Amino acid sequence: MTATDTRAASAPAPARGATPIARILNVVRLHVANPVPTLVLPWAITFAIFALNLAIWLMVARAAGGVENLEEDAFQYNGGISWIVVFMMVVAIQAMSLTFRFALGFSVTRRDYYLGSALFFVLLSLLYSTGLTVIGGIERATDGWGLGAAFFAPFGLYEEPMLTVWFVYLAAMLLFFFLGAAVATVWMRWRAYGLYVFFLGLAVVVVASGWIITATDSWPAVGEFFVSTSPVAIAAWTLPVTLVCAAVGFALLRRATSRS
Amino acid sequence: MTTVVEAEGLTKRFGKVTALDNVSFSLEEGAIHGLLGRNGAGKTTLMNLLTAQDFASDGAVRIFGASPVENATALRRVCFIKESQVYPDDFKGKHVLRSAPWFFDNWDAEFAQRLVAAFDVPLDRKMKKLSRGQRSAIGVIVGLASRAELTFLDEPYAGLDAVARRRFYDLLLEDYAAHPRTIVLSTHLIDEAADLLQRVVVIDQGRVVIDADADELRGSATTLVGRASDVDAFAAGRDVIDRTTMGGIASVTMTGLSDEDRRAASAAGLEAASVSLQELIVNRTGGRAGLDPSAQEDAA
Amino acid sequence: MDEGRPIFLQVAEMLEAQILDGSMPEGAQVPSINELAQFHRINPATALKGINLLVDQHTLYKRRGIGMFVADGARTRLLANRRAEFATLHLRPVVDRAKKIGLSAQELQTMIVKEMEQ
Repeated sequence: MTATDTRAASAPAPARGATPIARILNVVRLHVANPVPTLVLPWAITFAIFALNLAIWLMVARAAGGVENLEEDAFQYNGGISWIVVFMMVVAIQAMSLTFRFALGFSVTRRDYYLGSALFFVLLSLLYSTGLTVIGGIERATDGWGLGAAFFAPFGLYEEPMLTVWFVYLAAMLLFFFLGAAVATVWMRWRAYGLYVFFLGLAVVVVASGWIITATDSWPAVGEFFVSTSPVAIAAWTLPVTLVCAAVGFALLRRATSRS
Repeated sequence: MTTVVEAEGLTKRFGKVTALDNVSFSLEEGAIHGLLGRNGAGKTTLMNLLTAQDFASDGAVRIFGASPVENATALRRVCFIKESQVYPDDFKGKHVLRSAPWFFDNWDAEFAQRLVAAFDVPLDRKMKKLSRGQRSAIGVIVGLASRAELTFLDEPYAGLDAVARRRFYDLLLEDYAAHPRTIVLSTHLIDEAADLLQRVVVIDQGRVVIDADADELRGSATTLVGRASDVDAFAAGRDVIDRTTMGGIASVTMTGLSDEDRRAASAAGLEAASVSLQELIVNRTGGRAGLDPSAQEDAA
Repeated sequence: MDEGRPIFLQVAEMLEAQILDGSMPEGAQVPSINELAQFHRINPATALKGINLLVDQHTLYKRRGIGMFVADGARTRLLANRRAEFATLHLRPVVDRAKKIGLSAQELQTMIVKEMEQ
């Protein structure tokens, strides 16, 4: 190198990941870089809850002297699986609060980060709803693990076709993932105070709805709605709520900083 | 020469605290710049604004001629390494180095490996379990191996020992020579880094107090020591930036002395000594905070 | 490096010293900018400025694409310059100090002769 050419600027290399799609996919990869919290933990929890239930059923069946001595639907009212659906909210909050500042430090824009995270959540919802539906199919094929049990497609979904089971799972997962995304961004922007206000607001809405329903004597009508409306319709009703959560998360994240 | 970084009237307020106050400067392409100042002077805040990690309260930032805010095209050419960088829980060094090439187009994996060996960092240990120096080393590795056109290194060697710091300076110079780019080095270890810097921007209490060529600053100030009456006679009408007295002896630091002036001072029986970059910056950033020069005047 | 003086001047002076003491003879290739920068741990632009100063003074010359070389007659010219500025740069301060402690011109001269004979 001679004296004159030290100042020559390096020619920028052809940008490899410069397309918007590539940038968004890289955020997805960032989320999977450490797969434990998003891909390992939820399954582990699911199977742990299931194993616990299985143990209880076996114990009850043994005490009763055989499954045939029990009511046919004894093991079908089970809410165990709903925990995993709600847990997706935690997964989303964790995933975003863990990687946001790191991604920002790696020169990722908030837009790309949010779109990548949203894509990741949609992919996770597809993965988990499909996985749970497949296991639910096995459950039915084995006559409820030989116990007449219904864990992966419990009461409410027990009679429904597998496609409905899958759709309900998908819609529920999406709802809780994006609820989690919205909560995570509230946390990022305003920390604990943001969450206080958020959950206080939520409580006010719930209590107010209760009051309105009571005041207008509408409880029977509400009950009627849930009994008469199919699970598919109820699941479909969550989609607009999910969309609102997703939009709120995006709007809030656009102004989040590395200090948050 | 092309301007890569421009700040215009940049102001950042956190509640009632003004962290940056009407900061304006620009940085040219293809040089190692120094962003100097005391801890808490506003250096990190400034770099957060320049890289759109935070938003300005007022004023404008341009990098590569455009606002960096949500500007993926501009930001992809930028790498900002800071001591306060947060890593995802359970992330190990290897995860950091594995994900870096996804975001930095010029990433050189081979060079990164060389740097890992040079700094001897364990890659298989969780980031939060690493010592401060080891975490800094990971940051330095990412900052250098990313070869971003515009690289900000904010206190990159916090916790590194003298040997590792020297290794960093050597590797920085070597790689900069082979791959010229714009580097902004922020540090409070002015003495050590001074020789590497071409241009120096000094921030004090959120304001730019010096923005000059490093070599022009060196030797721009002179300290004269001698009998107080002689020193004061010589200093009269000159740009005095510091003055101390001890008994009948005065030491006065002033700028703008020519070689002639220095010879004249020496002929007048005064000891003349050039002021180092470090001393000059310390002087300009409140080196004698709490010691009001006028109060000393009275005491003398 | 002496932090109190511009580094590019110090780079130029060090190269001049090497030319004067014969370790870099006329026609010899001078270290590259990056070699200088890495050796002294200084900014390459500063090293370039020091080299350019010597090019402007015709002490060094550029051969495009090859490097920097010591110019013919560089040493002679440097010697002449150093001699010319010796009195103001080095003798003057000595004389000032001698006066301060009351040495006469005669006494100073005797001391200089004695030192030079050693």
